[in-house]
Amino acid sequence: MLSTDKLFTYRPQYLNIAILLAFCLLISIPASAQKKFTVSGNVKDAATGEILIGATITLNKTSTSSNNYGFYSLTAPEGNYILTVTYVGYAPAVYTVALTENKVVDVALNPKAELQQVVINAHTRNNDNIVSPQMGVEKLDMSQINNVPVLLGEKDILKTLSLLPGVKAASEGNTGFYVRGGASDQNLILLDEATVYNASHLFGFFSTFNSDAIKDVSLYKGGMPSQYGGRLSSVLDIKMDEGNNQNYVVQGGLGLISSRIKVEGPIVKDKGSFMISARRTYLDLFLKASSDSTVKGSQLYFYDINAKANYHFDDKNVLYLSGYFGKDVLGLKNTFGTNWGNSTGTLRFNHIFNGKLFSNTSLIYSNYNYDIQSYLPGNNFNAVSQITDLDFKEDLQYFISNNHTIKFGIDALHHNLAPGSITADGNSSFNDKTIERRYGLETAAYISDEWHATDKLSLLYGFRLSDMFLFGPGTFSTYDAAGNTITSNTYNSGQIVKSYFNLEPRFSASYSLTSETSIKASYNRNTQNIHIISNSTSSTPTDLYVMSSNNIKPEIADQFSTGYFRNFNDNMFEFSTEVYYKWLQNQIDYKNGAQLILNQDVESQLVYGTGRAYGIEFFLKKKYGKFNGWLGYTLSRTERKFAAINNGDYYPATQDRTNDISAVGIYQFSKRWSFSSTFVYGTGNPVTYPNGKYEINELTTFYYSQRNANREPANNRLDLGATLEGKPHKKYHSSWTFGIYNVYDHRNPYAITFRDSKTNPGTTEAVETSLFGRIPSVTWNFKF
Amino acid sequence: MSMKSVKLKYGYIVAAIIVLTIASCQKVIDLKLNNAPAQIVIEANITDQEGPQYVTITKSVPFTATDNFPTVTGAVITLNDGAGRQFHFNEVHPGLYILYPFQGGVYGRTYTLTVKIGDTTYTAQSTMPTVSVPLDSITDKPNVFGKSSLRTIAVNYQDPPDIANQYLFVLFVNSIEVGTIFTNDDSFTNGRYVKEDLFQTDIDIHPGDTASVNMACIDRNIYQYWYTLSQQQTNGPDGGVTPSNPPSNFNNNALGYFSAHTITGKSIIVY
Repeated sequence: MLSTDKLFTYRPQYLNIAILLAFCLLISIPASAQKKFTVSGNVKDAATGEILIGATITLNKTSTSSNNYGFYSLTAPEGNYILTVTYVGYAPAVYTVALTENKVVDVALNPKAELQQVVINAHTRNNDNIVSPQMGVEKLDMSQINNVPVLLGEKDILKTLSLLPGVKAASEGNTGFYVRGGASDQNLILLDEATVYNASHLFGFFSTFNSDAIKDVSLYKGGMPSQYGGRLSSVLDIKMDEGNNQNYVVQGGLGLISSRIKVEGPIVKDKGSFMISARRTYLDLFLKASSDSTVKGSQLYFYDINAKANYHFDDKNVLYLSGYFGKDVLGLKNTFGTNWGNSTGTLRFNHIFNGKLFSNTSLIYSNYNYDIQSYLPGNNFNAVSQITDLDFKEDLQYFISNNHTIKFGIDALHHNLAPGSITADGNSSFNDKTIERRYGLETAAYISDEWHATDKLSLLYGFRLSDMFLFGPGTFSTYDAAGNTITSNTYNSGQIVKSYFNLEPRFSASYSLTSETSIKASYNRNTQNIHIISNSTSSTPTDLYVMSSNNIKPEIADQFSTGYFRNFNDNMFEFSTEVYYKWLQNQIDYKNGAQLILNQDVESQLVYGTGRAYGIEFFLKKKYGKFNGWLGYTLSRTERKFAAINNGDYYPATQDRTNDISAVGIYQFSKRWSFSSTFVYGTGNPVTYPNGKYEINELTTFYYSQRNANREPANNRLDLGATLEGKPHKKYHSSWTFGIYNVYDHRNPYAITFRDSKTNPGTTEAVETSLFGRIPSVTWNFKF
Repeated sequence: MSMKSVKLKYGYIVAAIIVLTIASCQKVIDLKLNNAPAQIVIEANITDQEGPQYVTITKSVPFTATDNFPTVTGAVITLNDGAGRQFHFNEVHPGLYILYPFQGGVYGRTYTLTVKIGDTTYTAQSTMPTVSVPLDSITDKPNVFGKSSLRTIAVNYQDPPDIANQYLFVLFVNSIEVGTIFTNDDSFTNGRYVKEDLFQTDIDIHPGDTASVNMACIDRNIYQYWYTLSQQQTNGPDGGVTPSNPPSNFNNNALGYFSAHTITGKSIIVY
């Protein structure tokens, strides 16, 4: 079954590209007559010791930014230099450096008080967004997230992300999101490099990410850097706080539905620190108030714990250990119970070989599982399912010169999928049943070069080679179009059932017209070997994961995008517009009436098609000043095509949204008060409405002729928030956050259903369900 | 504003709690719906019981119309029993066609129904299951979801271990048919004594009511038909599945089904 033929036919192509890449590197590195030295180091927060990601380091006129571990490296000819380090919200640091040898300059920046930001020197505002060849990336500022009003006062990075152009929330109040027409399972969500499979709590009303513990959030919508792979449409790279290595700090908050606490402090001052953050909801208290005895006895809560520790052995060696553990528990008294959760663990080792070569080695564990129990007499059962990943990654960053930074590395990711098993006792109606486990290995190697070819032209180019191996043991079948088994073969442990090889070219370039204007273009191919087969429109804990196999081919996406980037007023305002076009191959859907739960032959229930997505995004952002925020608009189209649906014509995908507007404003009114507001408007979801009705077995039945040919009404909503900082106090700090969700109480459609009218028998009616009206919230936060 | 009532099917229950916890709201809305041309709907059943067998033929109407479904008259309907015999249906009432007398369908036999309407011929096949699995008993128990004063009906039967079985249950409360489709197959219960709760919210069942259940053993395609239809009914808080027409075993785009099935029934007075 191994498609070795493909391996050999593709190999020369890979070689050609590798040679081409090497060649590009060689010709572009000028032979230098003058002696050159390197200045390198780490950038961190002076007060907490937290490393700062993406700080701008400038040596005279050449500049770079600190990497994900705060490390930077710059090389210049022997001489005297001024080294400037800037970061939003921090006072700039300036050093004089006499480069007569390789130097290490570690930088500690002091945070500025909020109001001081107003007088920030315009020249320290950076124009990275203009000069960097990276496009399609959005970085969220955590202090902004804390100010954006959200449902029930639970600040949430995933909900804030959906306010960006090109990103769409799966449904109102939901943390599921679609990026540039991709499905929700086509987002790679990484928490300290570990894949988070189900990023939602309580069916998506809350995300698994507790903002207290999060330091940095980057979302890649396009121009995917080659160090990332495995999903088609986006990468959401989330990094946890390191923990304060200077002082012990306790902070937390009491909210309407949840409370949270975070403790951090030094393990050894200046050398190591830890951070533990936890949160738990108490929605079940609402249930206790119910008059219904079943509801009263129900369980409904979730909790999560983020923990991290690091230790700096010396300037060159740092060890990080981080973990996440979260669980949702839901249950009806004496009836049903269910719980599900993610756990991840990441062990990382940073090593600086020299001022130019930075290494990160990661060992990552990720697990997602769910468990359903029925306690009904005679119908009891226990069903479990889980997915376990083990991942080894080696990432290297080589700062060859100021014009070339090379990233390269390898990745080996092992999947162990237990699709499900059910156990029951002798009195139950149910048999014990276990679906065979599936084992897979995804390996990848990548290389990319960020090349500042001229003052104006920068390129980021490279490729990712990704392999997928599906292993035995187990019985693997192939199916015909009707879902009947054609062949069935048994494989031994470790025997390769199917393998796929894919080359993913990645390319992006920027050309600066002026220091405040640039145009960019990118192309990238992404492939995906793990897929969710879901039989509903939103994320549920029982989503089924399958790997690429003898039936399922890897999903492939090719995206072209181009954009215009313009900053105004000394980089006070950032404006960008990007156009994208995306082709999708080997998209997966399931047949009508498919049996997905605990079905050994679940792959017989699938159909395959293609898709396309295209659109234009406009984004205007004000990053600095008393008033900041952004305005985003997206015009887009997302379609899918399956032979069995709509006569094989393209139809709008569920995530298609023609117009999407979002506005976020945050105003620092005084030292103590700040106000914020968000507004969203979006075209309604494509849905399938009946085109007629008939009677079957005396029941009214609806007739459908075209998939997703209709639209729900457009949705729009205004939210307001206010933060009151407590009076300054030596020992503690407190604040109040107030919010009003859906200020003008607009009922946005959540679902539209059709039924027999009870009030007017003999007729049928359409019923719109909406979830959230106007909802006020208040949270008290403390820190000491 | 009313609290949302959902079809109580597991998987949606817990979501329902959340929706109930947070105020959700339902309202009847006016929608502009496209009207498809009227479609032919054939509903045909052959049972293992001796007696009249029925076929009804109607047409679909626009969503906004009242529930008066035009009947289709003058159809020529033939049943082939796969063993060399042909039977003809007579139209006894506009759109209602009857085969009588009939000895009852034979287990394991594949029947072919041909319906000729004007110039178009619609054909479907269905296989009478090899065994009639009897409905052993029906019982009632306290309602687990919603009001605890109400009762839930459960069906009990012994699933045969050697073969794949599919079932359809039709529940009547005081002779009124409950508008919920109940299906089951034996993929989780093969060979077990099965106790299946018929969760529904269409008709409240109180002590003293008469509840009856008809249980049919159906073939795989017909199971798929009813199962797909039952899924459309589940419009839980997560939006349910994408709506589609259940897969008819008739050709030429006729809606409906032709089912050859066994039938047994029980009735109780709810305690």
